[in-house]
Amino acid sequence: MVKREEENMAIIVEGRGMALVILVLSYILFYVFMYLGRKGREIPVRTLPPMAAIPEGIGRAAEMGRPVMFTPGIAGDLNDPTQGPQVLAAISILGYIARECAKTGVKLDVFMPIPTALPLTEETLRTAYMAEGKPEEFSPDMIHFIAEQSPYLTAVLGYFQRERPATNFLIGGFYYESVVMGEAGNAIGAFQIGGTANIHQMPFLVATCDYMLLAEELYAAGASISKDPDILGCLRGEDIMKFILVALMIIGFLLGFARVDILVKALGW
Amino acid sequence: MSEELTFWEKLARIDRRVFYWILFIGLMVPFIRPLGLAITVSPSTRDLYEELRRVQPGDVCLINIAFGVSAWPECMPATAACTKLLIRQGAKLIIIGPYYDVDLSYEELKRRCAEDFAKLKYGEDYVYLGFYAGGEAVVAQLASDFRSVFPTDAYGTPLDELPMMKNINKATDIRLVLSSDTGDWCSYYIRQWRIPYGVPLAEIGIAMLGSEYMPHYRAGILFGMSVGVRGGAELEKLIGEPADATIRMDAINISHILVIIAVLLGNIGYFASRGKRR
Amino acid sequence: MSEVLRREVVYLITAITTIIMFVEFFFIGTWSAAEELRTWAIIIANIALGLGAVRLLAEHVRNIQRRRAGVWPFSIWLIILFVVMFLSGLTGYAAKHDPSSNPVYNWLFKWPYTSLGQTLYAITGFYIFSAAYRAFRARNIDAALLLIAGCFVILTNATVGEVIWSGIPVIGRWFLDYGQVPGMRCFLIVAAFGMLAYGFRALLGRERGFYGEVAGE
Repeated sequence: MVKREEENMAIIVEGRGMALVILVLSYILFYVFMYLGRKGREIPVRTLPPMAAIPEGIGRAAEMGRPVMFTPGIAGDLNDPTQGPQVLAAISILGYIARECAKTGVKLDVFMPIPTALPLTEETLRTAYMAEGKPEEFSPDMIHFIAEQSPYLTAVLGYFQRERPATNFLIGGFYYESVVMGEAGNAIGAFQIGGTANIHQMPFLVATCDYMLLAEELYAAGASISKDPDILGCLRGEDIMKFILVALMIIGFLLGFARVDILVKALGW
Repeated sequence: MSEELTFWEKLARIDRRVFYWILFIGLMVPFIRPLGLAITVSPSTRDLYEELRRVQPGDVCLINIAFGVSAWPECMPATAACTKLLIRQGAKLIIIGPYYDVDLSYEELKRRCAEDFAKLKYGEDYVYLGFYAGGEAVVAQLASDFRSVFPTDAYGTPLDELPMMKNINKATDIRLVLSSDTGDWCSYYIRQWRIPYGVPLAEIGIAMLGSEYMPHYRAGILFGMSVGVRGGAELEKLIGEPADATIRMDAINISHILVIIAVLLGNIGYFASRGKRR
Repeated sequence: MSEVLRREVVYLITAITTIIMFVEFFFIGTWSAAEELRTWAIIIANIALGLGAVRLLAEHVRNIQRRRAGVWPFSIWLIILFVVMFLSGLTGYAAKHDPSSNPVYNWLFKWPYTSLGQTLYAITGFYIFSAAYRAFRARNIDAALLLIAGCFVILTNATVGEVIWSGIPVIGRWFLDYGQVPGMRCFLIVAAFGMLAYGFRALLGRERGFYGEVAGE
């Protein structure tokens, strides 16, 4: 094993001290507000329109007698720190979608191109159908596993043409398939809800979907529906951290004018 | 009975297939009559070029081919131009890639830089380690211990038997990294190589990644950036060898102009029909 | 193992792994456990590739067994190609430590696969074209500003912009540097906080989606 080079007797790696402070501060704030939320303190949160639109989309499919399609994109594996959380957050939302589908008897087709996420997806769907008292309606055939980007994309486009789903959920970590699926879904007149934290794909989903979960909203989407105190507490903590960062930016801006570099040095600690 | 659409309403609702045909035909024009418009070099590409020019003979550089064959038209020209430049600077190259078709991309890169590679000796001037799986975790591991990820090169030769790799095992042994990608691989190298070890890093990406990595470039985290086909064409101009990307710039010009025209038509139709409804 | 115990074990593994990586990132020391864990991650990722292949085969064998309408003939085709690709690659590797030394493998990868991949990627341009036409409407003042900025940036990225007017790239780059970069930084920061909070809940075992439980219960 290669050992990290020690340059001095410091305990913290140079340049990461302030990141550690911000991380610890964030965790403290998250925990405090999670605790307060569990104790019954009300944390108001606006309803995210995309989450509120999910029952509308599924109701539309029920009226039209057509299926609902969900896919989390192919951007990454679960062990990928950027894409993994997006896929996991998308699977959380899939649980809610599956429950709504089970309630209304709408057929749900899930296109899952990530092998490591397959067991979790299956478990989530099974649990959702059981929660609605319809375990017999769950079938592993609802999950279509197609590996690799081009075959996955082709399969989804073919599915759009054959089955003409009434509603598409394009929520997760996407690469270029976002614009192709979004526009192809649009061409068949599907109602579409998108969501991603991948900055490079956001414009495409915004342009092609009726509703969109942008960046952080993807991770907070569950709170909008469940009012889960843990998620709400974290959201409050995040908001406070954002205020702190904005304040730091303004102070840094003013100090920059005065040519004082205390803040820059502190951030680089 | 369906309502008859006015001219303006039709203009705002042109069938998408019409655009597909227009684009298809429009993209053929450069093949019949090349436009050959002048290419100016953007600051991010110039910075990339300038830093590569500072590479000294014997410096070891890592080229991460993080794009599949589908992205060759966008990423390969710039990657090839940078590879040529590095070879001419006397750099030693390590080539790796996280896509399982990386063998094809590596062969294509060698084909495009055939004259330069012909002067090099495998194992002494460049090595090809091949495919690696595991996302950011493997990039982090590469930074601390190359041999735990690649005990051998792509052809099964142990790294210790390759003269060039004798003293190379961690991020700090590498002069710079070129991450050529279609997704997040540059972010992994930012987090696991650039920030912790200070290894200079540049991005060669598809056009849609330009906006994502621009903040990193502007913050000085990336020493340069090549964006899409345009970046490739700029690099070809800088090394004085116009090639694929320079030819493709014509297609880029035509498609971009067509998009602007389509958007304008849509808006004219939208406003005219809205005014009429009022 | 009971369901509750199984869940607790998963929570515990998640927490221990996170703490090890956390300590390694911030604190100086010879934290070889983190390196070991990363090696495991690489091994697991490679196993996942195999898992994907097995799962793919299992699904298509099931399609054939059940004669799934409209699908099963393609499943047969997939399995045939899978076997051809696998065997040709394996023989190439056995012969010269290089799968592409087998001409069948090489041909399949080089011609059908490359052409199909590039074709599919190229259709993105067509979809972006029609999406831009449909979505870029100046419905309000915000959309109008976005539209104007977008047109300048498009013309900046294409060299034709400066042929039309030399000021276009100047304005376009101004939008990129002073409009887009701060906006992107905002998204980076809020997405990072979202991920941080998500990770914290997972660390405490309170992110139910992370463990395959259904949100909203």
